[in-house]
Amino acid sequence: MAASIPRAQLHAYLDDALSDRETALVEQALRESDVLRQSLRAILHERDRGEHSIGAIWRRQRLSCPGREQLGSYLLQALESDLQDYIDFHLKTVACPFCQANLADLQALQQEAEPQVRQRRQRIFDSSAGYLKVGREQGGK
Amino acid sequence: MSSESDRLLIRQIRDGDSRAWDTLIARYEGRLLAFVDRRLHDRAASEDVVQESFIGFLNSLPNFDDQRELQTYLFTIASHKLTDHLRRMGRHPVHAASEGAGDVLQNQLDPHAAASSLARSRERQELESQAVVRSLGQMVRQWQDKGDFIRLKVLELLLVKGWANRDVAAHLKVSEQQVANYRFAAVKKLTEHIRETSLSADVFPELQDTARD
Repeated sequence: MAASIPRAQLHAYLDDALSDRETALVEQALRESDVLRQSLRAILHERDRGEHSIGAIWRRQRLSCPGREQLGSYLLQALESDLQDYIDFHLKTVACPFCQANLADLQALQQEAEPQVRQRRQRIFDSSAGYLKVGREQGGK
Repeated sequence: MSSESDRLLIRQIRDGDSRAWDTLIARYEGRLLAFVDRRLHDRAASEDVVQESFIGFLNSLPNFDDQRELQTYLFTIASHKLTDHLRRMGRHPVHAASEGAGDVLQNQLDPHAAASSLARSRERQELESQAVVRSLGQMVRQWQDKGDFIRLKVLELLLVKGWANRDVAAHLKVSEQQVANYRFAAVKKLTEHIRETSLSADVFPELQDTARD
């Protein structure tokens, strides 16, 4: 079982970057395998020592993520077939959490009632606008 | 890098422009909410985490480098806030992973226990990370521009998903030799680039694994 969970998946697991299905698989494997738990501990040691995962950097820095406009065109199936196919792969096989979020947002924009969205954003604005002054003062230092 | 529009917004926000802040929230709130809720499945809690993320962004604004892409930066903050939330709820992966293994994993994430080594290496880590982003980012853009999506898929499955050569080959219907060739070429270039910047490639276990293959 341990061998079926690659190190890159353990990195993504620690970064909360897996899908629900992948998370469940990793957690089941961890419960069943002492070897896998040791691998996870080894990765934590590596991180503590300052070692990197290239895959984690690629994922976190979104090196291959399509742009927002491309995702919009993907939804409309208006892209060249090879790019459409690549974005499909990136969303479904790689399961990029950032692009999945962007896509879900684009889909929600078509469905969600405008007053609801406005209300939610207003709450964020009201709770955070006071920090604008803080940011300005710190920036001016 | 942030778009010109994002850079303008950031300049205005730094000047305390509340309308610019409202615009930035409108631009990014939805995708951050979808990102957090994908993990929490709790709309109210997700909204709270997103709210904390925006406050975190404003607090970190004096240190934000305009050369960074704003969206990636916001996702990074949201990831940290999400992890904080999961830890508070006892749902962070390390809690689950440490079941039956004592509290060793917990201790590894104790910021105090690791503080000295982290502080010592943070700057170097950032330089190493930037070198990878420059080198790998350039390669990825070249493959995209040339429409070499098969190579991009191969490397993404190998590095981001950690699949074995044979699994990548079977999934993408290419030969294992081709997968090995793509891996070798990319790792060689990446290793050379990291060494050119006078950094050590030894801190990237994946590069060592490939060198041993």
